[in-house]
Amino acid sequence: MTPVITGLSKLVSCDLDKGISHMNEQIRHMRFVHDLEKLVVIAVGLVLYDAGMTSPVGKEDIGLYVGVDNAIEDIKSEYFNNILSEGILGASPLLFPFTSPNALTAQATIAFDIRGESITLPIQRSSKDVIEYATDCIIGRYTKMAIAGGITTDRSQTSCSETIKAPVYTAEFFFLEDRKSAMERGVKVYHRVMDGSI
Amino acid sequence: MRERVCVTGIGMITPIKPFQGMDEFWNALCSGEDVIKKMKPPMLKHDKEWLMASIDLSDFPNPVNPEDKLQFLVEKAFTMARDDAHLQGDQTTGLSLGTVLGNVLCKEKRLMEQKTYHRGYCLEKESLSYITSHLVSKYKVNGPGITVSTACASGTDAIGVAARKILAGKADCMIAGGVDVLSDFAITGFHAFQAITEEKVRPFDKNRSGLAFGEGAAFVVLESERCAVQRKAKIYGSFLGYASRADAHHMTGPHKEGRGLAHAITQALLQANLKPDEIDYINAHGTGTVYNDLMETKAIKKALGNAAYDIPISSTKSMLGHSFGAAGVIEAICCLLSMNTGTIPPTINFQERDPACDLDYVPNVARKHRVKVALSLSAGFGGQNSALVFGEL
Repeated sequence: MTPVITGLSKLVSCDLDKGISHMNEQIRHMRFVHDLEKLVVIAVGLVLYDAGMTSPVGKEDIGLYVGVDNAIEDIKSEYFNNILSEGILGASPLLFPFTSPNALTAQATIAFDIRGESITLPIQRSSKDVIEYATDCIIGRYTKMAIAGGITTDRSQTSCSETIKAPVYTAEFFFLEDRKSAMERGVKVYHRVMDGSI
Repeated sequence: MRERVCVTGIGMITPIKPFQGMDEFWNALCSGEDVIKKMKPPMLKHDKEWLMASIDLSDFPNPVNPEDKLQFLVEKAFTMARDDAHLQGDQTTGLSLGTVLGNVLCKEKRLMEQKTYHRGYCLEKESLSYITSHLVSKYKVNGPGITVSTACASGTDAIGVAARKILAGKADCMIAGGVDVLSDFAITGFHAFQAITEEKVRPFDKNRSGLAFGEGAAFVVLESERCAVQRKAKIYGSFLGYASRADAHHMTGPHKEGRGLAHAITQALLQANLKPDEIDYINAHGTGTVYNDLMETKAIKKALGNAAYDIPISSTKSMLGHSFGAAGVIEAICCLLSMNTGTIPPTINFQERDPACDLDYVPNVARKHRVKVALSLSAGFGGQNSALVFGEL
């Protein structure tokens, strides 16, 4: 087994509108609760496209492995502040699922009908552990292909514009598969992956 | 041939006999002890009471600050498992030791109260990966340190991820666990979904009306068979297979035909190289909600065919409540204890059979039964589904 990268995507939350224009109509009309969720869905869509995969996927061959840093705390804060001010009536059933980081991964599985493994790993800043685990899963034959990456908060940038104050997040994903599978599909190979390092 | 992974240590603290040892816990669980009662949530200033199974820290011999409950439970269960496996001193020389922790909420009361919007900044202690980092530094973990957060399947996935790390040669031993404590987050959220029962938790019963909250921390020590034999460790059982599958269907509701869970079971059995009729016990996710229990029954039947009717299935959540990130690990330990004692814990509060849930749920009374192979199932929000298979060595 030689895991290689056959797709890449990187998207900053300031560029969501640009990113979504590349998505099909179904994704463009999805209702999103939070920017983070939209960011993950579009970034996963872009990496599928770059890897030459058709969407919806509709099978178990692809696993989704997502690292999430403290960005998720922004959703938790929003939910919790509502409870603090309004008691149980402030509990939003719409926002509640997003207090668990796997909701971001889940939304991408739903959007693209990805039925393989779905694993969310809270991380500090780097997605290295996530990519390493996804690589382990390909080598161990637990999944044929993997989308692995993460969402991090951009600490150098506090907002996308002077008028809209909102945290800036970055999503970065890699499409991984065995070299043989890439050859059979006839897709370009960017790099080889070794133990989470590219 | 692929190396085998064994379980050589267990440790947990649950609302049943929390500080009295594993034998006391198991005897109480198998006698159907119900510790779920109406209580007020930890923080909300509200008159309403919900059904919960809580760990009373005053049962612990030394004083513990209730605000440190989560960290206290994690460290206690972690060290119980480590000590049970005798992974101390000389026993760890030359070993690569890692840890995986599954949790969903990871919020202590004081952090919630002091929480303000930081925008792009978060106190380190608020982060979900904080507890894992703390375990890594305090207990000199020199291998992988990973946090898994897959909603109510977190604990099950933590064990699966840990086992794969050993199989990939990234560690000799992994201490894998899960934790969650009663939280206003979960209570208010599940209240909004009307998923909390107002009376008894009755998994798979015709009149089931929802779940009750629980809390706890649990860990298992996994290690390569080579390492376990070399150390002459006590072996509880063998890890045989694990799989995770997404429903890819709905954010909060399970797939109505149990598609994802059925796929996870099939895949885990394939890894274990086992046929459906070789399973002797299933510890179900069994929350007691109308949709989960129906979906789970369909998934078991879909994956196991006619063999499903002959396998005893129980929901220990009927006694322990739903402890979210800890649940999968607690239930995996119940599978191992079933294998080691030849007893299957009951599904309590079972009164009336649901024609749609027509399997053997071990109603109300524990059963003596030889368990050579056990299956532990978990499902969660976001369409998470996981299955673990354990067997006698």
